[in-house]
Amino acid sequence: MITTSLRKLAGTKSAGSWLITLAMYGLALSWLYPFVWMVMASLKPTPEIYTTSLFGGELSLGNYDFLFSSATKLNRPFLGALGISFGVTIAVTISVLVTSAFIAYALARIDFPLRERFRDFLLLQMVVPTMMFTLPMFVLIKQLGLINSYGALIFPSMMSGWGIFMMSQSFKGMPQDYIDAAKLDRARLWHIVLNIVVPLNKSIIAIVALFTFTGTWDNFLWPLIVISDVDKMPLSVLLATFSKHYGVYVGPVMAGAVLQTLPLVLLFILFRRHFLQGMSLTLK
Amino acid sequence: MRAFIGKISETHIGALLALSYLLFSAIFWAYPFIWLIILSFSDWRFFDAPIFSGLHNLVVVLSDPEFWGGLWNVARFFSIYFPIAFVGSLGFAFGLKHVGRGKTIIALCFLLANISSGVAFSLVFAKLFSSTGPINNMVFSWFGFRIPWMSNPTLAMLAIALVVAWKFIGYYGLILYSGLQTIPKELYDAARLDNTPPIVRLVRITLPLINAQLIMVLVFTILVSFGIFTEPYLITGGGPLGRTNTPMMIIYETAFRRLQPSHAAMMSVIVAAVSYLLIRITRKLLEKDVKLA
Repeated sequence: MITTSLRKLAGTKSAGSWLITLAMYGLALSWLYPFVWMVMASLKPTPEIYTTSLFGGELSLGNYDFLFSSATKLNRPFLGALGISFGVTIAVTISVLVTSAFIAYALARIDFPLRERFRDFLLLQMVVPTMMFTLPMFVLIKQLGLINSYGALIFPSMMSGWGIFMMSQSFKGMPQDYIDAAKLDRARLWHIVLNIVVPLNKSIIAIVALFTFTGTWDNFLWPLIVISDVDKMPLSVLLATFSKHYGVYVGPVMAGAVLQTLPLVLLFILFRRHFLQGMSLTLK
Repeated sequence: MRAFIGKISETHIGALLALSYLLFSAIFWAYPFIWLIILSFSDWRFFDAPIFSGLHNLVVVLSDPEFWGGLWNVARFFSIYFPIAFVGSLGFAFGLKHVGRGKTIIALCFLLANISSGVAFSLVFAKLFSSTGPINNMVFSWFGFRIPWMSNPTLAMLAIALVVAWKFIGYYGLILYSGLQTIPKELYDAARLDNTPPIVRLVRITLPLINAQLIMVLVFTILVSFGIFTEPYLITGGGPLGRTNTPMMIIYETAFRRLQPSHAAMMSVIVAAVSYLLIRITRKLLEKDVKLA
């Protein structure tokens, strides 16, 4: 009797499946544990973090207050770092989305000379391990005189071969009729891309946007190398240096971790539908 | 006539768009690549012009025990990380297939870990694993001892592997799940008629048919093993005694702390070549073109 009602609740047909469903719900919840612990720790005074139960203890926003006022006096300007992270990440994401959409449209729909060679080149770039570019990229940025500047964080990521490739794979599957109809109306290229191609391929654009945003926002090694001035550090690096030198302030460190995570989580929740749809596209 | 002009200009625009990306790649991809090759075979300390030094860097790097230790740590990390990630993501994929209601919400809970901040969660897990942290408090209250996560080399590596697995199991699992979705139900019905035991069905039908997805996950785990930096850098700092020092950390330290960029360049080339070759070999040995007859 109980099993049948549980099965109904879980929406499963076969016996035993509801047990697996239940276990999966349990696992999914336990996967969220680090998030919950981080948020709760950021709301407790440091001495109480390890001694109180997960939801116990006095909760306040004191750690956030510390991060934005006292940490600045310790030469850790978190408010500025948050602004830099947003500025750099938004600039990179917009640039990647716009350039990828137009170049991908050309690759998928315009028959220009050596098009297949261009596609091969993108594939080649994707198999060359990116890890070896970090050091020589530093040399280039140094030669350009961009060390300790926002340009060092933005320029190397303004275009993405991966973004172009992913979008072009999706654009290829679009019905040609829409484009032909627009061409009959003598629509210009930017009009076709922005008003026809983009609305029909929202999922892949959401995927490229989300991964570009996350990758730039959370990039750690690159800004660690090119930015040494605390006033110009993005949040990821400032948070790490703060944790390294003032690690005893566990509460404020966790508040910083929440700030570093929050925009990513919000974007993910906002785009969740497109994200899951787009995932099945990128997995093929 | 108008259509003719329109077609020409569209082709031009297409070529120009492609050219813009080639120009970008020339500056931010080809040029650094050339520098990498030059640095690998010369002596340079960030300031004056590089002096050609032949294979000197190769000799220095190959006789550096720390570098070999870093490569050995990749093998140690992989041997812990791969089983956890592989079994975990397979379990996730099979589990998700049996879930009736709420597939989306479960997948999203797991994927949330994947898009989250590596920096933030390295710091969070460092606290969770610490000797007075919640994990050890729980173990202590149940068993009366604490797990020395940060002082035992294998446990420290396990801690990092668990953090990285937490991040990637949902993603890998979804890849495998999308493979499972493409297997036709009739195959299982036929096997059931023949009274094929479940384990045989798994090994003879399911796994071969998701070969492509399994290889993809394997390749991702190899790439992660060679490329991790943030997690060990922030959680263990490479310790204890350099036993969680990864190649990327060693390259970073060599170039920017010891100011030996040309040694670091040679290390980058070697590590990239080894990871590339390993992936090629894996593909060659394990990739099968499975077709449904």
